[in-house]
Amino acid sequence: MNQQVAVDVKNVTKTYGSGATAYTALKGVDFHAEPGEFVMLSGPSGSGKTTLLSILGCVLSPSSGYVGLLGEDISVAKEKDLPRLRLQYVGFVFQAHNLLASLTATENIAMLLRLRGWDQKDAVKEAHHLLDQVDLSDKYHSRPGELSGGQRQRVAIARALAGSPPVILADEPTAALDAHNGLRITEILRELAKEHGHTVVVVTHDNRIFHLGDRIVRIEDGLILKE
Amino acid sequence: MSAVVPLPAPRQRRPAGPINTRATFRMRFSTMAVVGLRMMFHDKLKMFGTLAGVIFATVLSNQQAGTFLGLIYKNVMFVENAGADVWIVPANTETIQAGKLVSDSNLMAAKVTPGVAEAAPILFGNAVMSLPGGGSQPVTLVGAKAPWVLGGPWNIVQGERELLGRPDTMFFEDSDREYLGNLNLRSVRELNGHNVVAGGFTWGLLPFGPSYAFADFDLARSLLRVDNDQLHFVLVKVAPGADPKDVRSRLQAALTDVKVMTRAEYKSSIVRYVLTKTPIGITFGTSTLFGLVVGLVIVSLSMFSAVVDNVREFGTLKAIGATNTDLAKLLFVQSVTYAVMGTLVGLFLVTRLAEGIRSAKLALQLIPELFIGTSVLMIGLCVFASTLALLRLRKVEPAMVFR
Ligand SMILES: Nc1ncnc2c1ncn2[C@@H]1O[C@H](COP(=O)(O)OP(=O)(O)OP(=O)(O)O)[C@@H](O)[C@H]1O
Ligand SMILES: [Mg+2]
Repeated sequence: MNQQVAVDVKNVTKTYGSGATAYTALKGVDFHAEPGEFVMLSGPSGSGKTTLLSILGCVLSPSSGYVGLLGEDISVAKEKDLPRLRLQYVGFVFQAHNLLASLTATENIAMLLRLRGWDQKDAVKEAHHLLDQVDLSDKYHSRPGELSGGQRQRVAIARALAGSPPVILADEPTAALDAHNGLRITEILRELAKEHGHTVVVVTHDNRIFHLGDRIVRIEDGLILKE
Repeated sequence: MSAVVPLPAPRQRRPAGPINTRATFRMRFSTMAVVGLRMMFHDKLKMFGTLAGVIFATVLSNQQAGTFLGLIYKNVMFVENAGADVWIVPANTETIQAGKLVSDSNLMAAKVTPGVAEAAPILFGNAVMSLPGGGSQPVTLVGAKAPWVLGGPWNIVQGERELLGRPDTMFFEDSDREYLGNLNLRSVRELNGHNVVAGGFTWGLLPFGPSYAFADFDLARSLLRVDNDQLHFVLVKVAPGADPKDVRSRLQAALTDVKVMTRAEYKSSIVRYVLTKTPIGITFGTSTLFGLVVGLVIVSLSMFSAVVDNVREFGTLKAIGATNTDLAKLLFVQSVTYAVMGTLVGLFLVTRLAEGIRSAKLALQLIPELFIGTSVLMIGLCVFASTLALLRLRKVEPAMVFR
């Protein structure tokens, strides 16, 4: 395993659809991130940011090219192996919090830990610990509907970190938040990621949080611009 | 599933790295069960809608099946309660109705057949009662020999069995008293042109045709104008320890021109007759099926719409690593829960309903087998109904959650 590169993308293309309606969203992307690096991915709407993030997250398969997560070639993975790869390598933070409305904050996190093989008691303890870390010690039993937007996104961050996957991917995590909360949750994400060595890729056009990235990568029309 | 790598002590979160622990089948199942139940109870309106489907199917199918069994019971009640282990009936008999006669030599022969403890003849025919206010009503006349146990009245609510020994005295059906022109104890009525007196009453002895009326064998003989050496059926009680099937075979071998059946055989013959030679089976079968189909459609559609409503949550579950199989487990637990809850409520309601409408004329037969069958059927129905939702779930793209 090549531990030098956590995320390694070489000459990746992605074409949606086929025939007359085919659209090539990524046209030969090269991208990499070191272990523990906090990378901002930015670019105009429709440039392919979400597409690239979905491929890194083993949600979509690339049309061609190489994608490695900690040295494992995931570009050749079969469709049915993708869920397992996601559990193994990736934590997600979505634009909307995407928590399950019927579960409490603790349960939303513990549920994912259970899928990752934790037993119930440890999963609950770990969920509480993660909620403590995002400053929600008093919201263990609250459902998403009882939380503010910023609080929900903090639960979502705690869930992304659950079990300590090596790669955290966030697609516009601040888009639904005001400036203050947007900055706050990005700071929390960065702090916790740095503390434990997560590699983070944050898609954003929010220039108020750019300064928190170790590096800003720009993508335009399906291609990464030279840094 | 793969070996479980020891986990770090909680509290001290482990450093980031590939997660090599995997959930076992049981862990995934219980996790999905909890999520499924939480989702189900979160949307109470939809839950009650789905339950309504199960309850509807349970109530309607049990009400229909219970009525059907009630009608079946009406057809077999005489054979069930006449006290005979073995029946000697005219050849080609399939059901119980007034019909051909057999010779009394069969009775003599039966009495001396090994394994027979007791054999008694009965007469079974239609009689017409003239009513005081004019008009007439039919009854099903049964003539039995003293002490009137084999083929005599049962469920007696007024009078003593022994009163049948008095001249021209008969038992009639209590719930038909009004219908028989306000018949009371000691009322005198003309039956087939002969005056008889009401000596007692039974309750609930209403077969498919006219209600049963009981008379002594000799009275019945003159009312029905049957020859001295003829009778309708011979009822046989087997000796203690004798197997009715053996006795039946022995009798059948010894007698000609008659059919010999054990009580169970006669009952199944009647049930077969009702199912194949009358429209009852089709009628009730169709309406029971209708109840089940409507239930199936309601449950299918409401589970499907629950998936559509929560498609984003299901997409999220998939995005973070749940498989189609996991989501199938979730739906399975939901559908079994719907089935169990709905069946319990439905069976409770149908039991209350049955109590409410119980009468001598119609009693729903809600037997344990029906309840067990319903529960199993409803679980099958709900699991089957969830396949529509599952087909929709399989189509959910995890990539959708980024849009
Ligand atoms: N499932 C799909 N089918 C067809 N075309 C798609 C699909 N998903 C995305 N696209 C197209 O691919 C291109 C890149 O989309 P993508 O979502 O990656 O852009 P983005 O950079 O995330 O944009 P935004 O900032 O608006 O979120 C767009 O032109 C989009 O229309
Ligand atoms: Mg996007």
